[in-house]
Amino acid sequence: MISVPVAVMMQGNKLFSYLGQETASVGVVVLKDILPLALIPPVFLYIGSTMLGWEIGAEEPIYLSVDVVLLISFCYFFALFVGFIGLAVLLRWMAPTYDANLELNRHLTVVATVATPLVIGSIAHLYPHIFVNMLVIIPALIWSMFLLYRGVPALLDTTPQQGMLMASSLIAIVLVAAVTLLGVTVVLWTHGFGPSLGL
Amino acid sequence: MTTDSSVYNDRVVTVLVVLSLVWAIAGMAAGVFIAAELVWPTIDMGQEWLSYGRVRTLHTNGVIFGFGVSALMATAFYSVQRTSHVTLFAPRLAWFCCIAWNLAVLAGGISLLAGWTSGKEYAELEWPFDIGITVVWLSFAVVFFGTIAKRKVKAIYVSNWFYGALIIVIAMLHVVNSMAIPISIDKSYSLFAGAQDAIVQWWYGHNAVGFLLTGGFLGMLYYFLPKQADRPIWSYRLSIVAFWAFTYSYIWAGPHHLHYNAIPEWVQSLGMVMSIILLAPSWATMVNGVMTVAGAWEKLKTDPAMKFIVLALAFYGLATFEGPMLSIKSVNVVSHFTDWTVGHVHSGALGWNAMITFGTFYFLVPRLVGAELYSVRLANIHFWLALAGTMLYILSMWGAGVSQGLLWLSLDELGELSYGFRDIMASMVPYYALRFVAGAVFLSGAILMFYNFVKTMENRTTVTRRIPEVQVASNAAEAVA
Repeated sequence: MISVPVAVMMQGNKLFSYLGQETASVGVVVLKDILPLALIPPVFLYIGSTMLGWEIGAEEPIYLSVDVVLLISFCYFFALFVGFIGLAVLLRWMAPTYDANLELNRHLTVVATVATPLVIGSIAHLYPHIFVNMLVIIPALIWSMFLLYRGVPALLDTTPQQGMLMASSLIAIVLVAAVTLLGVTVVLWTHGFGPSLGL
Repeated sequence: MTTDSSVYNDRVVTVLVVLSLVWAIAGMAAGVFIAAELVWPTIDMGQEWLSYGRVRTLHTNGVIFGFGVSALMATAFYSVQRTSHVTLFAPRLAWFCCIAWNLAVLAGGISLLAGWTSGKEYAELEWPFDIGITVVWLSFAVVFFGTIAKRKVKAIYVSNWFYGALIIVIAMLHVVNSMAIPISIDKSYSLFAGAQDAIVQWWYGHNAVGFLLTGGFLGMLYYFLPKQADRPIWSYRLSIVAFWAFTYSYIWAGPHHLHYNAIPEWVQSLGMVMSIILLAPSWATMVNGVMTVAGAWEKLKTDPAMKFIVLALAFYGLATFEGPMLSIKSVNVVSHFTDWTVGHVHSGALGWNAMITFGTFYFLVPRLVGAELYSVRLANIHFWLALAGTMLYILSMWGAGVSQGLLWLSLDELGELSYGFRDIMASMVPYYALRFVAGAVFLSGAILMFYNFVKTMENRTTVTRRIPEVQVASNAAEAVA
C-alpha cells in the first residue's frame, strides 16, 4: 500500500475506503507514513532559514548560524515525530470511550492523514516569513480539519456521532499541546535560551 | 404577564433570549468594526464616538453585559423554576430585571460612545449606571433566591449553586470596585488610590471573568447539558467538589493581571499560585461534561445544539489551561501587553461563552415557542462558521502576541532595544487583517442563527407549561434529568 501522504493527494473521494484497507504493522506504518511526514517540514525549514533568513515582521531578516538551524531543525523533527506518535497513542487511549477500533496502526493512519495537509503547507518554510507561513497554514488547516472529522469515524469504525466527539476531543488536546509548546518556548527564552531579551 | 402559580413564567425568559440575541449581533458587530479600525485606522472618519477607545468599550460591555448577562438571566429564570418545581418568586420583579437591565446596558453603551468612562476595564460605566446596576442586580437576587426559598425539591441542584455564586459574588465585586466620589453627572473618581486601586480593579476584573463568564455559564452547562443529553451529569459528586474548589481558588487569582507592577511581590506570587491551582476544578468540570456527552452520542444525530456544547467544552479546556499558564510570571513577562492575552480572552469568549450560549439557545428557543427549529441545516453551517472563526482568531492572536513579546524585548549587540514600538505595531497589520476576517466569519454565523430563530419564532408566542404536580426527588441530579 502506498504512503498515506501520497494517498491523500491521489485518492480523492475514495481516500477513506482505500486507507481503511491498511493492514500493515505498527512498525511499517511508522516507517512509511509517520517518518517522512516528520522529516519534510524540518528539511524545508533548514533550507529556508539558511538561504533566506527569518522575517518576523520588523526590519531585516534574522539570520541564524548553520549549527543553530541544524539544531532547531532536529528538535523540530523530534517534536513532530514524538507528537505524531503521541497523538496516535492518545487516540488509542480514547478509543474505548467512543467504541472505536483499538488497533494502533489505524490510529497512526488517522494522524498521518490529518497531518498531511499541514506537512504539504510546510513548503512555506522555504520562504521564512511568518505571515506567508500563516497564510499557507490556514487553508491547510481547514483541509486538515475536514480530514479529521471525516477520517476519525471512517477509519476507526465508529459512528459519525461518536467520531465527531472523538475528533473534537483531539482538537482540544492539540490546542492545549500547541499552547503548552508556546509557553515552554517562552519560559526557555526568559531563562536565557534562544534570542537575547532585555529581561 | 402570568401570575398563575401552576405554570412556569417563561415569557420573561423568551424576551431575555431575544434581547440577548440582539446584543450578540450588536456587540460582535462593534468588535468586527474595531478589528477593522486596527487595519484601516481612518474608518472612524474623524468622529470621536467612532474612535477605537470608545467603540472597544461598547464591544466589551455589549457582549459581556448585554449578550452574556441577558442569556444568564434567561437561563437562570428558566432553570431555577424547573429545578425547584415552582413558578418564579416575584414575577413582576423578574420583568423589571429584564427591562431595566437592558435599558441600563443600552444607555450605558451610549454614554460610553459619548466619552463617559471611569477608566476601569470592564467597569467603565459611570456612577449613575453603577447605582442602577446595583438595584437591578439586587432584584435579580431577590427573584432567584426567592424562587429557591419556595422550592418543592429538597436538594438545590448544582446549576443553582453556580447561578447563586454568580449573583452574590458579582454584587460584592461591583459594589466594592465601583465605590467612587462623583464630581459631576458624568465623572467620578475611585475611592481607592494607586496600587490599592489596581488591586481592587483586578480583584473585580478577574472575578468577573471567574464568576460571570466562567461560573455563570457553568450554571448554564450543568442544567442544559444533562437536559440535552437526556441523562444525569456523569459525576454529581465531582460537580459539587469542583464548585467549592472553583469558588475558593478563583477569588485569589486577580493579582496575576499585575505581574511586575507596583504591588507587593508576594501578592503577585499568590495570584500566580492560586491561578495554577484553578486548573484542577476547571478540568474536573470539563471531564464531567465530556463524559456526560460521551454517553449520549446518539443525540448528535438529531440535535444541532449538542455540537456547540461539545466544542464549547473543548475550548473551555483550552482557555482554562492557557489562563493558568499565562499567569506564570516567566511566561507573563513576555505575554503581558501583547495580543496573546486578547487571543486568550477570545478562546474563552468565542469558544466557551458564545458556543455554550448558542448551544443552549438552539435547545431552548424551539421549546419556548413549541416549534421545530426552522432550519437544522443553517444551524450546522453556523457550527462550522463558529469553529472556523474561533480557530482563526486564536491562531492570528497567537502569531501576533508571540511576535510582539519577542520583538519588543529583543536586544541588539549594544544591548539596546532592537525594534521601535511603532515599527512592531506596523508589522502587525497582517495579523490584524486575519483577526478581522476571523471576527467577520464568527459574526456571520451569529447572524445566520438570528435569522434561524426569527423564522422559528415567527407568528408564535411562548408556550404555557404547567409545573408537574408531584415529583418528590431527594437526589437533585435525578430531578434535573
